[in-house]
Amino acid sequence: MSVLRPFKASDMFKFNNINLDIWTETYGIGFYLSYLSRWPDLCCVQEAPSGRMMGYGMCLPTSTSLMNTTRSFARFTVIGKAEGNNTEWHGHVTAITVAPEYRRLGLARKMMGLLEMVSDEIYKGFFVDLYVRCANSVAIDMYEGMGYSVYRRVREYYGNIGVGKGGRDEEDAFDMRKPMSRDPRRRSVRSNGRDMIVSAHDVS
Amino acid sequence: MSSALDRQVRPIYGNSARLTIPNAYSPASTDALDMGSNKSAIVACTKLLKKNPKNALIKALKALALVRSQKVEESLVLCDEVLELKPTDDAVLSAMMHVLRGLGRRWPDNDTVLMFEEAYKQQPTNEELGAQTFFANVRAGRWKSAQQIATKMFKQFQEDRYLYWSVISAVLQANDSTTPPSMKTILYKLAHRLITSSPTPSYQNTDRFHLHLSILKELELYDDAHKLLDSEIGKAVCSTSLSCNEIRRDIWRSRGMVKDEGELATHRILHLKDRNWLEFLSVLDATFSYFTSSEAEGSSTSKSGCLEHVKKTQELFTQIAQDDGPKDRSAALALLELEKRARTHGVSQDSTRLVGLMQQYFAQVGDKPCCFEDLKPYLALTEDQLSKWTSYLQTQITTSTDPKKLQRLINAHKLLRHNLNHLETTVEAETARATLYIGQYLEGLELGLDLPPTELQYADDLALMAGNVLVNLWKLTSDEQYLLNAVALLEFALTRSKQSFQVRLILIRLHRLLGAPALALEHYRAMGVKQVQNDTLSHLLLSRASTFSLASTGDLTLASECLESTQIYLSNSQETADFVVRAFTGEKYSQIPEFIIFEEHLDNSLQRDIVKMEHLRMRLTHEQITSDLIDMELIEMKFIFDRGVSRIAESKHVWLWTLLKVYIRAFQQGSDLDDTVEEKLLIGDRPKPAYDIQGRLPLRQRLTQSTTEELAELTEDESLFVNFARALADWLEPYHDYARPPPSVVLAEAAKQTELKTGYPLKGVDLEVLNGASSPHKKDEEPPAVIDPPKVVTEFFKILNTRFAEIQKNSSPVEALHIATLGQEALLLFTIETMRFKSAAVVKANKFGALVTSFKSIRSDAITILRNISGKLIKESELSATQENRKAFVDACALVINAGIDHDFTLGVAKRITDARKKVTEGVGKGLGRVCSSYAH
Repeated sequence: MSVLRPFKASDMFKFNNINLDIWTETYGIGFYLSYLSRWPDLCCVQEAPSGRMMGYGMCLPTSTSLMNTTRSFARFTVIGKAEGNNTEWHGHVTAITVAPEYRRLGLARKMMGLLEMVSDEIYKGFFVDLYVRCANSVAIDMYEGMGYSVYRRVREYYGNIGVGKGGRDEEDAFDMRKPMSRDPRRRSVRSNGRDMIVSAHDVS
Repeated sequence: MSSALDRQVRPIYGNSARLTIPNAYSPASTDALDMGSNKSAIVACTKLLKKNPKNALIKALKALALVRSQKVEESLVLCDEVLELKPTDDAVLSAMMHVLRGLGRRWPDNDTVLMFEEAYKQQPTNEELGAQTFFANVRAGRWKSAQQIATKMFKQFQEDRYLYWSVISAVLQANDSTTPPSMKTILYKLAHRLITSSPTPSYQNTDRFHLHLSILKELELYDDAHKLLDSEIGKAVCSTSLSCNEIRRDIWRSRGMVKDEGELATHRILHLKDRNWLEFLSVLDATFSYFTSSEAEGSSTSKSGCLEHVKKTQELFTQIAQDDGPKDRSAALALLELEKRARTHGVSQDSTRLVGLMQQYFAQVGDKPCCFEDLKPYLALTEDQLSKWTSYLQTQITTSTDPKKLQRLINAHKLLRHNLNHLETTVEAETARATLYIGQYLEGLELGLDLPPTELQYADDLALMAGNVLVNLWKLTSDEQYLLNAVALLEFALTRSKQSFQVRLILIRLHRLLGAPALALEHYRAMGVKQVQNDTLSHLLLSRASTFSLASTGDLTLASECLESTQIYLSNSQETADFVVRAFTGEKYSQIPEFIIFEEHLDNSLQRDIVKMEHLRMRLTHEQITSDLIDMELIEMKFIFDRGVSRIAESKHVWLWTLLKVYIRAFQQGSDLDDTVEEKLLIGDRPKPAYDIQGRLPLRQRLTQSTTEELAELTEDESLFVNFARALADWLEPYHDYARPPPSVVLAEAAKQTELKTGYPLKGVDLEVLNGASSPHKKDEEPPAVIDPPKVVTEFFKILNTRFAEIQKNSSPVEALHIATLGQEALLLFTIETMRFKSAAVVKANKFGALVTSFKSIRSDAITILRNISGKLIKESELSATQENRKAFVDACALVINAGIDHDFTLGVAKRITDARKKVTEGVGKGLGRVCSSYAH
């Protein structure tokens, strides 16, 4: 059981139990404020009834493929104009994160559900996409279960942790996509996505 | 500007595009002149100004380069020149905005606002200028004028957006802390009148709609709100917007539509598969809505109505719980909440039902870490129910063969532990528990052998619980060995679960308790605390950190941690207002109040002030105490004090409050600056006065106010120190007041210095008073008679010495360090208080000879005692990192070693702790010696 509610600026004072986990990055306040000042409806929090934050998700509408969140930060200027018939117009999930003690409760699924609904109904995106470590089979299975499929593999997307036990799979990312109602013919996805390899520079 | 001149000016600020007025699309801060090139920018501007002496842009750029080179006075002169030209040019206005921001002139007169208002007045048809003027007011939090400008802009440019700007400005004014409460409703009514005058309906835009609803809610115009919400569009907006739906729910409830809300929620749960806990709460609230507040117990009719509803809700939740199974636990928990509320309202049918449901819940969710937290609200049980629950949980304590079973075991332990009474937490019982947890922890580790190093171990919570038990044992017995056991265990746990920040959080505290601050710092750094986390986490490391500071020896590690952790407050004051402006341009009205709350929260952060205080305490041990230092710190501390009046009192953080008063008083006595002088000389922001400013006592009186509860938050030794400081200040106050030069002389002297430095005189200062005032000035009244120092002052160091001798037998050096650093602090405070009387001329002119004699004897007593303490600390440090000490440490860790933690590993921990203790005792001891030498005379 969890409360799904909008992300508020002062949640930054409460997210330590989520952000101290190594997989979650803490950005400058400008990062969160810039999302909130543009797409507050694409920022959500899962909260326990006690008021403890369990996880949060953030998404942005865009028509370019986004390498990562920090770079997308510099791109906001073009976004507003891209809306319309451009089939690249989509919701990009930049952060979806759940505190370790609240994992495996379906929270990510609920947040994704909201972000997809808003991307579809409010922003009229053609699809929703996200990046996931190729080694993270648990997450990949989960996203596939939610209707996502691999669109392409991005080389060396995650540079920060270095090549670990899993070799390349640790650093490479899958760009996964799910078509929305504006794309009934599923043009934004493809079946052989795992074989489509691009370098990180190509998507930035 | 001619293109030729333009070409010459451009290189001064590089990419000219970056200096345009920040609008919605430009980055938060524009570093037009980066730090390195300020010097060349000044040179280039000076050259260009020779040819174009009237050019405002060049002047503005030079002012910018100057302010960024810390040449404030020179920058001010140029700045005033440009402002007098009343610029309207974009580039000039933009450069000036940065200059004024650098000068910090925001309150009480906001020059940026005045500049834009002047420009807009000159070009009233310039929409961009209008918007910039509006934003300047927004950044300054001047909502009243913002509202007026937006209204004017709406009339002139007929853009709906401007009308909404004026609406939210009125709302923000209503909520501002400087607005008297009586004005609030009036302002909301104004906002309401404005928003209903909008030519287009608010529901066309989610955030406009949200704003409209929030105004109606505040004014309790529920019927109007309902009309909006009940429309097709209103419903559609709420179905996709969490924030609008949130406010809709509130309005429905306030309007007494609890049952309607319950039905809507039932619909969402059943048909839209919504599993938001808020929906379940709505169903629950509807179920118990039969009891109004007027009939606390409830009549029989309302009871029977409720009973009926409880049954219905129970069926609904049971059905959903069955359908969802382990996929979603909302309905299962809602059943528990239903039973709990049924009990509260006296409509529960079965007294055993709650524990039954809890058992069911545990059976279903017990293998998830959240189980304990989920069940926590239901753990207050009657005795017989508790024993039933306890015996059920005890059956769950079994050997764990897989991670899920292990999680059950952990949850059972946590739930059992939560309900222990004090008879069950004896030293014996707790010791047995620690051993049990550690044993099961080590077994549990076997299940996670294949986990990648980035993952957390399944068994971590058992180690954390054992640590918790050991800390409790320490609390029960005051025996340090339990802390040593806890550290050995948790350090071990960290080798198995390298990313466990929970383990680190406890270790930081433990290492501090054990007097090993270097290890605490290591763990703190490993957590990678950054950005806004500094505000919420730096207390772990920095509260009372001056006890461990080695700044006196030149080691500035902790002092720089203080500075780094406060960077976030700078980012906040530089960036957040820009995002408020962005939210305006993007019409995200729902965010604006939130951003402002966030900004104010950081700006008024208690942690910020606590760190500042610690930094000051470290700084004084490191830097030579001069009158400049005293003046600067006085101004800063007063700023904090004034800003914090209501806040600190509210949060009852009396520790900070007490120390602030101690230091402000000492600085004030040591300084020549009084309020009138400061007013003239100080460039920069002042705290924004709250609306109740008139009701306050003068600062001097507030400084001497004190309550007995103040001392309750201090340690015994801190109380001694504070009493010493107060007595010292009371004693010396009349002598300072008599000897301090009059404000006109101080001011004239400052003006003279400024002119010598910058070549410009200070405006409005009369230099005449300096003539004939080079020697200490004559006074009309006789100097106050010198009296003997109070006993609290003369005895302080002796008492401290006794205290030090008492605690020296403790093996943890923390208390010894605490006493030593407080003694050091007292000496420094004494130096600040007596500096004025160092000057032989001052002493002679005021006949303070006897005073100086008293100082001498107090000082020499202090120095003797502090040198003695310093020597003992150094000697102690030599003995602390020996083989015997390490062996004693390991012997003390018998509990965890017997439970299975490796002996050699423990020895390694022992070595690191004893080394860290050696380092800090030696450092503080030597530093104290140095401080004594610096201030021996």
